[in-house]
Amino acid sequence: MNDTAKNDTVSAGRIEIGGTIFNPYSKDFIRTPDPTWQTLIRDYPIAWHKDLQMWLVSSHELCDKVLKDNRFSPNFRLWELAPPPKAEADKNDFDRAFEKGFFAVTPLEHLRLRKLTMPAFSKPVMGKIDAKIRDLVVDCFDALGDAEEFDVYETLAVKIPVRSIARMVGVPTDREDYFHEFAVNVIKSTRINLSAKEREVSVQATLPGFRFFLDEIAKRRAAPHPGDDFLGSLVSASVDGSSLDDYEILSVVFALITAGSDTATDLHTYLIHGLLSNRDQYELLKQRPELMENAIIECLRWGSFGKVPFFRFAAEDIEFAGQRIRKGQAIGVNIQAAWHDPAKWPEPMKLDITRRLDGNIVFGAGAHFCIGTYLVRVQGSLMLLEFMRRYPDAELADGDGRIDYEWTHHNARRINRLVVKTNVAQARKAA
Amino acid sequence: VSKWICVICGFIYDPVLGLPDAGIAPGTAFEALPEDWTCPECGSPKSAFEVYEA
Repeated sequence: MNDTAKNDTVSAGRIEIGGTIFNPYSKDFIRTPDPTWQTLIRDYPIAWHKDLQMWLVSSHELCDKVLKDNRFSPNFRLWELAPPPKAEADKNDFDRAFEKGFFAVTPLEHLRLRKLTMPAFSKPVMGKIDAKIRDLVVDCFDALGDAEEFDVYETLAVKIPVRSIARMVGVPTDREDYFHEFAVNVIKSTRINLSAKEREVSVQATLPGFRFFLDEIAKRRAAPHPGDDFLGSLVSASVDGSSLDDYEILSVVFALITAGSDTATDLHTYLIHGLLSNRDQYELLKQRPELMENAIIECLRWGSFGKVPFFRFAAEDIEFAGQRIRKGQAIGVNIQAAWHDPAKWPEPMKLDITRRLDGNIVFGAGAHFCIGTYLVRVQGSLMLLEFMRRYPDAELADGDGRIDYEWTHHNARRINRLVVKTNVAQARKAA
Repeated sequence: VSKWICVICGFIYDPVLGLPDAGIAPGTAFEALPEDWTCPECGSPKSAFEVYEA
């Protein structure tokens, strides 16, 4: 045992837990996470997790504090277990994009990046995206024909998010599958719960995709006008004479993919799962579609599909909530648990689409607040409006949609089967 | 009197409306908000806001 580890073991007053309290990979947890979250919130709002080798913060109050405190950085390079930085000559496009990205730059640089990129993600631009992705949502539903039953995962959740993002960033339709693979590898490259070897395999697999975007950016720069789509607006963005360089733009594409494509798969399954397993709320939303935005956020809070926490790294030694966090240590911000904290959310297991959601951290909080929040709302509403219009009497097949999970998913409690019974034939007969 | 936008989350502060629910009266200019005021959407500080020209 080295000195540091020895000091850790003997450090007075440190609250410690292990895999018996919280094991994000266990099947029981993936199926029924709430009892674990309630234990963490009640008994271990902050604790050192011996098996995961990180602090785990689980109450709403503490998660909110960590997210708003810049001393807890998302920069993986600050992690005590991060691999040593590469020499300049050895860096590939992944490394260069990562270094310039939202999760790696200083807070001041981060603010500059957000100022330059915000217009591309703002509500008005997302309004235009609405028109771009509406037809692909409709196409996914059209492909279902008059099906009596269909699997939400296969037919909607896998297809809509990644195709939406591919359209946003200008990937040709015939390369969307290739783009999906790229997206999954980008995400895997950043997960500290995977081994260094697994991360490196994924990094290598991202390189052709990064090349594609670098070429595309070069084309836009050479054109008389870079275009007014998402990529074009990043190329032409300028604030106080400052603009984005190639790797900064790449880093935004990188962020969009990590946050927006794989994660949004769960958006679609959990929206439908939440509403159809709470029938009264589905009926209410059909009657009052103006509740859509609130309903989407509430469904995300209620379903809380994350498995592994968000990661932060201590930029300095920090006394926090009675615990001593050492510089370089990892902090798992367990926001999934926080979304079910009864101190913030009375009756947390009740889905209520009229719930007041002030102060929620469903899209995070602080400097790294989800930049794609409007994209989520646009995509979620397009899908749900179409679903409700076509299948007003839908229900989960056999009561639970024959639900199944991808147990080994690296990040989410991924539902990979959710069968909906459409009841369209029945409704037609009745009419 | 200008509207201000949070560059982190896109929240727009409209001084005409204020934020009555949060105790900020209609007609309160952005400059007059307390220095420790934070964005109601994402919690960013006042320094993350800039003038919004729609």
